[in-house]
Amino acid sequence: MSEKKYPVVDRLEALKKRLKAVREAQAIYAEYSQEEVDKIFLAAATAANQARLPLAKLAVEETGMGVVEDKVIKNNYAAEYIYNAYRNTKTCGVISEDKSAGYKVLAEPLGVVAAVIPTTNPTSTAIFKILISLKTRNGVFISPHPRARKCTIEATKIVLEAAVAAGAPENIVGWIDIPSLDMTHYLMSESDVILATGGPGMVKAAYSSGKPAIGVGPGNTPAIIDDSADILLAVNSIIHSKTFDNGMICASEQSVIVPESIYDEVKAEFKRRGCYFLDPEETDKVRETMIINGSLNARIVGQSAYKIAEMAGVEVPASTKILLGEVEIADDSEAFAHEKLSPVLAMYKAKDFSHALDIASQLIADGGMGHTSSVYLNERREKEKLNAFTERMKTCRILVNTPSSHGGIGDLYNFKMTPSMTLGCGSWGGNSVAENVGVKHLLNIKTVAERRENMLWFRAPEKTYIKPGCLPFALDELGTVNKRERAFVVTDEFLYKNGYTKQIEEKLTELGIRYQVFSEVAPDPTLACARKGAEQMKHFEPDVIIALGGGSPMDAAKIMWVLYEHPEVDFMDMAMRFMDIRKRVYTFPKMGEKAYFIAIPTTSGTGSEVTPFAVITDEKTGVKYPLTDYELMPDMAVVDSDLMMNAPPSLTAASGIDAVSHALEAYASVMATDFTDGLAIKALQTIFEYLPQAYDSAVSKKPAPEAREKMANAATMAGMAFANAFLGVMHSTAHKLGAFHHIPHGIANALMMTEVLRFNAKEAPTKMGTFPQYDHPKTLARYAEIARALGEEGADDEELLEKLIAKINRLKERIGIKPAIKDYVPDEEAFMSTLDEMTEQAFDDQCTGANPRYPLMSEIKQLYLNAYYGEHKEV
Amino acid sequence: MVTLKQFNEDQVIYRTEGKVIYRDGDTILKVFDESFTKSDILNEALNQARVEETGLKVPRILEVLKIEDHWAIRSDFIPGKTLETLMKESPEKEDAYLERFVDIQIEIFSHEAALLNVLKEKMRRRIDQSSFDATTRYELQTRLAALPTHKKICHGDFNPSNIIITPEDEAYVIDWSHVTQGNASADAALTYMLFHLAGRPDLAQKYLKLFCLKTDTARQYVQRWMPIVAASQSTKNKPEEREFLHRWVDVADYQ
Repeated sequence: MSEKKYPVVDRLEALKKRLKAVREAQAIYAEYSQEEVDKIFLAAATAANQARLPLAKLAVEETGMGVVEDKVIKNNYAAEYIYNAYRNTKTCGVISEDKSAGYKVLAEPLGVVAAVIPTTNPTSTAIFKILISLKTRNGVFISPHPRARKCTIEATKIVLEAAVAAGAPENIVGWIDIPSLDMTHYLMSESDVILATGGPGMVKAAYSSGKPAIGVGPGNTPAIIDDSADILLAVNSIIHSKTFDNGMICASEQSVIVPESIYDEVKAEFKRRGCYFLDPEETDKVRETMIINGSLNARIVGQSAYKIAEMAGVEVPASTKILLGEVEIADDSEAFAHEKLSPVLAMYKAKDFSHALDIASQLIADGGMGHTSSVYLNERREKEKLNAFTERMKTCRILVNTPSSHGGIGDLYNFKMTPSMTLGCGSWGGNSVAENVGVKHLLNIKTVAERRENMLWFRAPEKTYIKPGCLPFALDELGTVNKRERAFVVTDEFLYKNGYTKQIEEKLTELGIRYQVFSEVAPDPTLACARKGAEQMKHFEPDVIIALGGGSPMDAAKIMWVLYEHPEVDFMDMAMRFMDIRKRVYTFPKMGEKAYFIAIPTTSGTGSEVTPFAVITDEKTGVKYPLTDYELMPDMAVVDSDLMMNAPPSLTAASGIDAVSHALEAYASVMATDFTDGLAIKALQTIFEYLPQAYDSAVSKKPAPEAREKMANAATMAGMAFANAFLGVMHSTAHKLGAFHHIPHGIANALMMTEVLRFNAKEAPTKMGTFPQYDHPKTLARYAEIARALGEEGADDEELLEKLIAKINRLKERIGIKPAIKDYVPDEEAFMSTLDEMTEQAFDDQCTGANPRYPLMSEIKQLYLNAYYGEHKEV
Repeated sequence: MVTLKQFNEDQVIYRTEGKVIYRDGDTILKVFDESFTKSDILNEALNQARVEETGLKVPRILEVLKIEDHWAIRSDFIPGKTLETLMKESPEKEDAYLERFVDIQIEIFSHEAALLNVLKEKMRRRIDQSSFDATTRYELQTRLAALPTHKKICHGDFNPSNIIITPEDEAYVIDWSHVTQGNASADAALTYMLFHLAGRPDLAQKYLKLFCLKTDTARQYVQRWMPIVAASQSTKNKPEEREFLHRWVDVADYQ
């Protein structure tokens, strides 16, 4: 026993003084190293362990409750199991680190823990709370229960003195000598965290104190013994648990629920082991003794069965282990349905397992929400019953074939469960913690997160065939490598009527592949069209889909592919907007399980043959669904410029300028990489050199094979660039401009192009795009790089930007694109009436996310106005 | 000048320790002896005046005066019989009277008077004054602190002897010396206890059932106040109640 004298804390003034001392000690202790702390933790646990017997005797002597021999186990457990559980746990400074991810976690103490100690476990709970506080470099102030203050304080002193001897600051632990509610409340309100164990009153006080509280609530553990259970194990486990410290562990069984089929057998086993079944008259007597006005008679708490029987005027053998009352009502009008904190047990007869679940749920609802429930069954055979039990019980601990007193506190009958003397009950029990309380609840966790760049990838079709005349060679694969048998060709009427599919049909025939042609795709393809194609696919069952055409047939074919492979999909889901394609909410269905997809472009622009995008319009609502996922990427692209030789001037110009917009936006995107940069620059250089020739050839109808081939390659390269770096505000605004005013997509991009360049190039934008790689507004420099790559020279980036804009304007003019929206939409009023809606929709377009400058809606509106009149105003 | 000599024994309606109540025409005079402090009497008059101002049917306070050395409160005389008397006279109507009794109490609970003493404060003081050991008082205070603080008018001694039914069948509630504002369940717990102390546990059970039914209150919610009201009652130091109240107080919180 401790001989040292300490200042007595018996009033508020003394408490304030002592609390200040503990706080000062904690400030010093907070600087201790893990090694120093672990030494103190070991010394404190060892001292507590050594004092287990005298402390147990003292507790029983002072409180008049419980069993010395069992309290020895509790003390021993609180010292040894807690030490063992946390001996190697890092609680000081850096506790984990991932250097490559730039992620580090540090543990710091909370400060001073206010620890309220109950009468039922007055020494073991004190030991437990002090040990976990010491391990976490916290100070701790103990508020004992007046009924158990001597033993609680003795345990506290023993642990404190051992800790101090091992190097802890002198005043790291404090306590109240003469407890009063006022002092407890003061302590709670002045601490940094409250570890409240005890009845609902104390827990409520803790939660009302204004300080973070880890409180736990009352239990009312039901134990179901299923007819598949090992009755011998079940009954004796329950007896073992219920008699432990005369039933004072809050997780202890309060009721046994037994199905009719084994009721007598269970009863006989209880009797055989020295339990006493009360007759109806005796049951009434015990009821009256046990519960007073719905509350538990304090005098029976922690008493032996014999003593309680004596108080009730019932004669039982002195060696009686448990008093059992056979009762029927499970709500709290039945005294036996309450928590009894003594070796008294209710026994219910259930019709079957489901009825047993009803009884158990009722018992928990009325007195043990969130605490503990217990079931005995054959866990291998009766998995369904166990699942049903687990589902029904609103308890944070569900114990199987385990004495619940021992099982609930953990590490005794299951070695994964955290050992603890403080058992969280979750929100069901009004708690902030739903598990067994441990050191992690007494730490402030600092997370150090260093800036890292986002992972990116580069994805393209597994094969891209190039060079004029490559088509038949590419299709050869279907017979030689791929071994396909049924091909479905998707194209538009013009291409079909003009014989563009012939070459494909001949090749397929030659390869012995059956095929079907669908040629009903119109510009801005609709869902109805895609459904029709998919319906034909369903009957034809192709194993390869061949899309031939410009953007529309390729997009329509992609959607047919989706509908054919996954008829269950919802377009709303697939079109859901996302910030990062790798983190999107919607998981796109797996494609390619039924058919291989080949895309053969007949124009040089959309890039759809190498992109994961497709746009489809719901003809009923007019809504456009822009779908994006790498699952939509064609398996093979065939870029054969022989198919593009006869493209008319307007198409050549619109698709050519579309490719320019793809390359410009991919290059400026926050997700641009070295891979996409290379493709974008090469595409731009090629287009600026060859698009005028291709256009001229379209006008003059004199073939220009080289220019056409170069343009085909450039469009596909630009496609690969934006398939991976994505687009920006140029496309966001062009999408809506095209949709609202029926302007071809490429032209719409051309009309927004230079305005967006100026907008993105701003060195001090209102807001910049969010992406780790995009560390400062740098798009002006990026555009200057493009200008240089296109052979421009300038004194600075601003001049280069102006030269780039001039160059673009010259190109547009050269290929017959007019300068302003008003040239295409002369009705100014019509344009203005759609402006706000266009603005909002453009802002919300999927493409906005990758733009280097995050636009305000007012800014987009101004962009539109500038582009409309062809007059630049600052945005 | 009013003097005590004016009154004869016929005019005494009620006599209890330290207090005599006289009938004086249409009024009654409650005359206190020296064991009461001035503030006790003024406070009682003030509390009753506050209740009167809520519009509840209570005797009006007419004056607070000093008769010789004695403080006195004059209020309306309410003709009629107490509910207690009526219950005794017509046992067959006991259930009906009890129902009316509960209705009257619920009517009181529907009123608020912001300046009345606070029930929980009063209970806190009473627990401190009680003779229970430190542990029990600590338990009681802990329990009390966790109970709800409401603002309903609580009579504080609501029992059938404090209700007068006039010949016109109007009910007046008298004796407002213990009134506070607080949780209705506390007042119900008190009434339940008063029935027990009056030797009518059967009426206590019926009362509680009726109260809980009519107010849609869970029985346990009322029961939580029972150790508290018992501890408060114990400060009256009535030897015959001691054992009963101790049993009610000596309960443990569930863990």
